[in-house]
Amino acid sequence: MKKTFAAILVIVMIFSLSAVALADDGKVFIMGIDPEYPPFSYLGDDGEYTGFDVEVCQAVCDYLGWKMEIFGVNWDEKLVQLDSLECDCVWSGMTILDSMKEAGYVISEPYYDNTQVLVVKEDSGLASSADLEGKIVAVQLGTSGEALLNGDLADLAATFGNIVTCDSFLKCFTELEGNAVDAVFVDLPVAASYAANHDGLLIIDEQLGAEQYGIAFRSGDAELCAQVEEAIQALVENGTYAEIASKSEYVDIVNNLLFLNANESAA
Amino acid sequence: MSLMTMIVKMSEGLGKTCAIFFLTLLFSLPLGMIVALLRMSKVKVVSTITRFFITVIRGTPLMLQLLAVTYGPYYLFRANVSRNKLIPVVIAFSINYAAYFAEIYRGGIESISIGQYEAAEVLGYSKFQTFMRIILPQVIKRIMPSVTNEVVTLVKDTSMAFTVSYQEMFTIGKQIANSQTSFMPFVVAGVFYYIFNAIVDYLMGRIEKSLDYYR
Repeated sequence: MKKTFAAILVIVMIFSLSAVALADDGKVFIMGIDPEYPPFSYLGDDGEYTGFDVEVCQAVCDYLGWKMEIFGVNWDEKLVQLDSLECDCVWSGMTILDSMKEAGYVISEPYYDNTQVLVVKEDSGLASSADLEGKIVAVQLGTSGEALLNGDLADLAATFGNIVTCDSFLKCFTELEGNAVDAVFVDLPVAASYAANHDGLLIIDEQLGAEQYGIAFRSGDAELCAQVEEAIQALVENGTYAEIASKSEYVDIVNNLLFLNANESAA
Repeated sequence: MSLMTMIVKMSEGLGKTCAIFFLTLLFSLPLGMIVALLRMSKVKVVSTITRFFITVIRGTPLMLQLLAVTYGPYYLFRANVSRNKLIPVVIAFSINYAAYFAEIYRGGIESISIGQYEAAEVLGYSKFQTFMRIILPQVIKRIMPSVTNEVVTLVKDTSMAFTVSYQEMFTIGKQIANSQTSFMPFVVAGVFYYIFNAIVDYLMGRIEKSLDYYR
């Protein structure tokens, strides 16, 4: 008798808890980011996550009246984590890959034009991708750079002596500065931002692989994607978007932001 | 990518996994004995320092120790990062496992009753002879299950070498999982580790059995 009573109590409790959760109007939007990807998403000096994507997402959530939460994904597992509901989107300088669309993910309109570059040490004497024949190149696991070296740029990759995959781009650069590798293959904005803060690095002036950044949602979340896209458009129109992009931290990326430049050419 | 290509690709990394495993055992098993003896030293300073060393090694994550050994010299002295990652990986693993083995050895050695030392002394054994011929054989018998425990853990811990970009089997598995958007490589990795450990388990069982005299 006691046990039945306890069981009923537990069930009632669960229901009332979920009722409370449902009654809360404020939708919580969990943004999945790579916490080590400046200037798009990173841990700021004040210990809070910041970056261009984070600021835009915050503005979107403010606009829609949602509560934003940030979830740092493990970059090479990001889509699995998205599927397992750990976050509602992956929005962190993420390159749109055909394989994502084929796998059924809903991908937003591209918002950034990106290229990949090779970063070497200034004193290494290396000046072009051809110089890297037989050399060791580091790339971050799970990035489009890695996908490119296995795909479109496989011919170039075959001339490299060896390709080392690291679990963060920071480790790639540590390996480069510590002379364990000869070059790092990385997204241009990340390379520019890192080279600006660290002396002795040279970005080889060759743009390898043209690609675009977008936001990934789970398959079936097309409506959510549309809501976010609309909000971003509204922010572009009311100038908030340009305001965020005008901050000095984002000087390296502002020229490649598609929405801004489309707006300017239209105006 | 077919399952077969996946398995072939990952087996290539298995050699590197085995390299970590065997080299770590090779260095940490004897090193552990040295640490254990220092820990039991009658000189207070030596035993205190060793005790501190063990608490540091056991009290910090292996992953952190891997990072410290691999990238520490660069951050501290701007020294070059090793191109052959096997070296820092084996150094970090050996130090870590030596600390654990040392405590297992110590437990075993201290479990032998003092009477045996006295008896050996009466029979005219030197201290070294007593340890090598009387104490150690009994210790090895007693500690085998605990050592097997650590060895099995070591097989699985090799996957941590990924944090310092050492391209062992699990790293390759992650690369494939990522490029194929597939969970299959993790299943393959799981099976690989299980088979590896099944073999370890069998061999350690055999050794234990061969030590099963006096019963």
